[in-house]
Amino acid sequence: MWSFILKRLAQGVITVWFIATATFFAMHNVPGDPLLNDRAMTAAIRANVEAKYGLDKPVAEQYVIYLGNLIRGDFGISFTQENREVNDIIREHFPVSATLGILAVLFAAAGGVLWGALTALYRNRMPDYVIMFFVILGISVPSFVIAAVSQLMLVGVNSALGVTLLPVAGWGTLSHMLLPALVLGLGTMAYLTRLMRSSMLEVISSDYVRTAKAKGLPAARIFTKHQLRNAILPVITVLGPSIAAITTGGFVVELVFAIPGLGRYFVQAVQQLDYTVIMGTTVFYGAFLVFMVIVVDVLYGLIDPRVRMQ
Amino acid sequence: MTQATGDLLTVENLNVEFDTYGGIVQAVRGVDFSVAAGETLAIVGESGCGKSVTVQSMMGLIPMPPGRITQGSARLRGQEILGQSRIDGREIRGAQIGMIFQDPMTALNPTMTIGDQIAEPLQVHKGMSRAEAAREAIRLLEVTRIPEAATRAKQYPFEFSGGMLQRAMIAMAIACKPEILIADEPTTALDVTIQAQILDLLQDLQRETGMAIVLITHDLGVVARMADSVAVMYAGKVVERGSVDDIFYRSAHPYTLGLKAAMPSNDPTLKQSLQPIEGSPPDLFSPPPGCGYAPRCPHAMKVCQQQQPPETSLSSTETNRPHGSHCWLHEADSPFKPAELHFIENDSAVEQGAAS
Repeated sequence: MWSFILKRLAQGVITVWFIATATFFAMHNVPGDPLLNDRAMTAAIRANVEAKYGLDKPVAEQYVIYLGNLIRGDFGISFTQENREVNDIIREHFPVSATLGILAVLFAAAGGVLWGALTALYRNRMPDYVIMFFVILGISVPSFVIAAVSQLMLVGVNSALGVTLLPVAGWGTLSHMLLPALVLGLGTMAYLTRLMRSSMLEVISSDYVRTAKAKGLPAARIFTKHQLRNAILPVITVLGPSIAAITTGGFVVELVFAIPGLGRYFVQAVQQLDYTVIMGTTVFYGAFLVFMVIVVDVLYGLIDPRVRMQ
Repeated sequence: MTQATGDLLTVENLNVEFDTYGGIVQAVRGVDFSVAAGETLAIVGESGCGKSVTVQSMMGLIPMPPGRITQGSARLRGQEILGQSRIDGREIRGAQIGMIFQDPMTALNPTMTIGDQIAEPLQVHKGMSRAEAAREAIRLLEVTRIPEAATRAKQYPFEFSGGMLQRAMIAMAIACKPEILIADEPTTALDVTIQAQILDLLQDLQRETGMAIVLITHDLGVVARMADSVAVMYAGKVVERGSVDDIFYRSAHPYTLGLKAAMPSNDPTLKQSLQPIEGSPPDLFSPPPGCGYAPRCPHAMKVCQQQQPPETSLSSTETNRPHGSHCWLHEADSPFKPAELHFIENDSAVEQGAAS
């Protein structure tokens, strides 16, 4: 198990290096100039600023400096926000995005497994049809629509009750997080429900479930020990990419619910060609996702012995 | 229906249907058989004749819907078990009747250790603690001749070979000392040498524990080696039943004779070529009004197409295993008698062998 984890970590480091390199060269090949604003009006000022950010050096040298800084965990200073370190931006805003993302993933995974198992057990009966209707809805309606509609509905509920059941926007307490996390995770939850349903149906008709019945085990034990554990494997496989989809897709939801997450800075930086912020957040997001995928792999190994022993 | 007294398990007139998109399939159409304590009953027949459905419906293992038991009874020590999960205060499945299946590679849970899977029925039915059940599981693996049982118990199914998995399945099925072991084609998925080992193991376990075995197979070689009595099934019905000697040496039903003629032999002195039974089994969406075998039967008469043949009792070598056959040829006014039929069948086989 430990050699498996170490191997995956080493692979992860290489992946992050690829991401860092690709981002670096992609940024330097994007048309435009990060210093095309008021601060670099004259040639002298421009040269000064370029020297400050190391932009006067050849690209290869910049790359080496960039990698060196990266290893030391230094993402540099923002080009557009005076004297603000990229590390500060990440430190301030990433925990918000991560909390939202993790909560959304938890919602999606728990909901997907639960609804998927239910639809499979009630196959072609009323609960199955009702849940699958909402699943189609969840997959096809984009998150900004769901975000806005759910906000509107919440306003209605709050005013009808006369008390604030859940705040409509903002950030701070758990009650602020619930709705945006649910909205953010909804698409993934719908997708996981479908996956879990088909996987569960396969397991229900499998030979080993028949064996479990022939052993005379109670239905609850068959469900937890024989059906759920095996049916959940495909769900865990796609959980890695799902985490990626949720954390990177959080920007829209952050915007609608006025959440001070990292996504906003990321988009702003791309618009303003803020090299350091773009590279910093991209590499950081990349590393985070790679790490989450490794966590999912390890989790998979814990559940399926065939994975960890190969 | 004459039943020998003291039968452990008696199945009478069992009918099972399945709803499908194409209509209703009558998979089992009135099956009778009985098993005495400690004996081995083989249920033989070709694929799709309803062997597996018979025992699986009896055990409540067919999904309902689409499956449905429309008629019949199955009694264990005189008590009805169809639709029941417990009799005499004990679980039927796993505790009183154990079961093993055709493909051991898929019949075990891939994410659970072998030991845990064997320990499960012990914990559930015998109320053993985890540790007790784990110890007992290791002992059971030893009983089924798995070397290094303690290490093996901690392994997963993917680390076992097919033969080993079937041994583990057997260990699991006999864990709670059932009175009956149902073996649904236990050796079909295994190679011949492993097959022999598994059959030996089953026989030894039967001697030690005195359990009855219901063996489902399409391999007459396995039947000859294992069975005390035999039920031959065709198109959802039992067409002939009797002791293993009656079935092999005094076969009465044309289908049984056809099966024997279709059996490959490695004896060079027998100048007998392998004779397939021409045609295919009837469509069970709309089973024929008469004998199901009539369209393929070389001796079929008019009455065979129109009416179900009743069971005719034939003289038996063993009184406790009555020999019976469902065929119109056994009627008093039929053109052939069973003995002659037997003779004719063998004769024509020999003739054909000589001609080729």
